[in-house]
Amino acid sequence: MSTTSSRPDATDSPVESKAGQHPAPPTARPRTKQTGWLFVVPFAVAFALFMIWPIVQGLWMSFTDESLTLSSTEFVGFDNFAEAFGDPDVWSSLGNTLFFTVITVVPLVLVALGMALLVHTGLAGQWVWRLSFFAPFLLPVSVVTIIWQWLYQPDLGMANQALEKLGLEPVGWLSDEQVAMWSIAALTVWWTVGFNFLLYLAALQSLPDQLYEAAALDGAGAWRRLFSITLPQLKRTTGLVAMLQILASLKVFDQIYILTKGGPNNSTRPILEYIYDVGFTGYRLGYASAISYLFFALIIVISIAQLRIFPRQEG
Amino acid sequence: MSFDHSGHGGGFRMGRRGLLRWGLAGAGAVAAPSLLAGCASPASPSGSSSLRVWDLFSGGDGVLMDEMLETVTSGPDSFSIDRTILEWGPSYYTKLAMAAAGGRAPEVAVLHLSRLAGYAPGGLLDPFDLDVLAEFGVGEEHFAPAIWERAKWEGGVYAIPLDTHPFIVFYDKELADQAGLLDSDGELAPIGSPDRMLAASDALASAQGAAGVLFGHVGDQSQCWRLFNGLYAQTGSEWVLPEGGEPQVDRDAAVRVITFMTELFDGDRNPNHLDYNGAMAAFQGSRGAMIFSGEWELPNMTVTGRPLGAAPFPTIFDQPAVHADSHSYVLPRQERVDEARRREAHRFVATMLKASYTWASAGHIPAYQPVIADERYADLDPQASYAGASEIAVLDPANWFTGSGSNFQNQMTQPMTSALLGNTSPERAVEQMVSASASMLDQPNPVA
Repeated sequence: MSTTSSRPDATDSPVESKAGQHPAPPTARPRTKQTGWLFVVPFAVAFALFMIWPIVQGLWMSFTDESLTLSSTEFVGFDNFAEAFGDPDVWSSLGNTLFFTVITVVPLVLVALGMALLVHTGLAGQWVWRLSFFAPFLLPVSVVTIIWQWLYQPDLGMANQALEKLGLEPVGWLSDEQVAMWSIAALTVWWTVGFNFLLYLAALQSLPDQLYEAAALDGAGAWRRLFSITLPQLKRTTGLVAMLQILASLKVFDQIYILTKGGPNNSTRPILEYIYDVGFTGYRLGYASAISYLFFALIIVISIAQLRIFPRQEG
Repeated sequence: MSFDHSGHGGGFRMGRRGLLRWGLAGAGAVAAPSLLAGCASPASPSGSSSLRVWDLFSGGDGVLMDEMLETVTSGPDSFSIDRTILEWGPSYYTKLAMAAAGGRAPEVAVLHLSRLAGYAPGGLLDPFDLDVLAEFGVGEEHFAPAIWERAKWEGGVYAIPLDTHPFIVFYDKELADQAGLLDSDGELAPIGSPDRMLAASDALASAQGAAGVLFGHVGDQSQCWRLFNGLYAQTGSEWVLPEGGEPQVDRDAAVRVITFMTELFDGDRNPNHLDYNGAMAAFQGSRGAMIFSGEWELPNMTVTGRPLGAAPFPTIFDQPAVHADSHSYVLPRQERVDEARRREAHRFVATMLKASYTWASAGHIPAYQPVIADERYADLDPQASYAGASEIAVLDPANWFTGSGSNFQNQMTQPMTSALLGNTSPERAVEQMVSASASMLDQPNPVA
């Protein structure tokens, strides 16, 4: 669509301004460069010290049998990686993480979109909806898990009380292996959908009115406008939301650690918790590093695949 | 987005720890000259700075520990103590191990005796000097042999037990009486077999009108193991984890124990889906006649005002045994040992042991036998009822990965919780426990 390139969309602007920098006058270049470096140095130092160096150090550790305790460290080559490939707990916890990612990303995108569309249609009292959809996102993880722990409490919890009122059997929300991950996913959707909702709402509000006017003149109804204008226009936002959400879901750790500690029977243990267990309660930093690097590699693969699926520039 | 607080991509986590260690090493290098100067000064008497003590006692235990410290820090031979309370659990043990590895650990720390095998062999602890302890009136003869044996490693004594804290039963005396379970002294009569325990549970349930025996295990990382470890030892079997070998387990006995557990908590005589706090609340709220619990919950039990009885875990299989652990004092490794301070550490430990009558009121059984022999202790009710448990205490199997709050307990507990909830069979739970044990034995020992 030719309108896209000229659209002053918020998500477009970084790309455009970058492109705009290139034809800068050559005389100004060296000076800009120097000043630029000055501005970048403080961050670059911190970045190198707290990101690059630990990454390198962690990579080195993954080739050693480094322990948290006193024993001496030896280079063990690819032993840790070989062990990780043969370790069923690595695979099962990785499976849990991926399962969690699948069952949270889909609702977190669709529900956020639905909520944004509802609010954008011009419901009365917009700010109330905006606030209530976004508010849970502001809560710290400890508060969220405490609230949901009570909701899921087997005896007195609201969830089971409600089922009881309806004459249904109580559910072991956090104690049934088949159910626990879904319970955590529900909590996560409630907690974090607000952020995606906000991204969608911002995108919706920046859609140009003339498109709708033109469509209305051509006789397009509300549904037609939704499917032929709104959703296609939101394609790039959806790509962004999905990408951010997949990365966030892959990093799941804290709500699971607090609620179930990975139980029941390890059915909710994400790979990050396994890494934590191996490294910090099992003292095996070398092996833990190796697993985290395998996971890191997987995240990179997923990110690249995603970039392919949702290209930054539309054809 | 949401999980930003949780930290970062897998790759960064360990790296950051590494950086911390390097940073600490750097800081150590800077600090070293001044430390040396400090040591060289002959005028640094032992009392010049406080003895640093780490422990993991919060809640009721923490208050009592304060009280004991108050006693020992006043008077003519007083100490100056710098107490650090850390949250109990795996993170405590990580911190302690790192502090000891760094060589600038506190002079004294509290350690669960079951964790000793993860500390002493790795050189993270220094042994006690028994001669110095004897000067202050503490020696081997003052401890129950079952506990003292576990404090030793290759001839050295690395831990001085402060208490034994067994997994026991609390019960409502009136209801137990109605159910006909008390002996002529008004104490819980011997039970003796799984069938009689099931019958007792039935009788308690009908006396109570609702639930007989309560047990909170859902979502807990240790409870099932605590129950199992005692009962399994009662069958005369041992869960042996030989270094570098295969686990030696009597599977039939283990299946027998877990089957019994599933029969007892069938959801009929009692709710079988309670979590730790849920079971506590049910007992406190008089919605159950008996509860399987650690004695450390005693302060929470007495507040209810019920006619509270307590007993060592009943013998249900062939021989008496109860799961227990022991809070012990240890001397974390010091890079440079200040002899005067180390002597003070010995004196402190001995003094605390002698003051442990106070500790008993939390429910713990003092490890220092003279305190138990004291007639004041005999008057403590119901503590005196279960004091015998320390004689038949069974700790976790000894290995670097076992002990209170360890991943081992968690990995043992998970399949059993699953079996109690009817998600898996006792046979499969045992299979899972054995294979988890085997895979932990396969791991290289990071503290050797």
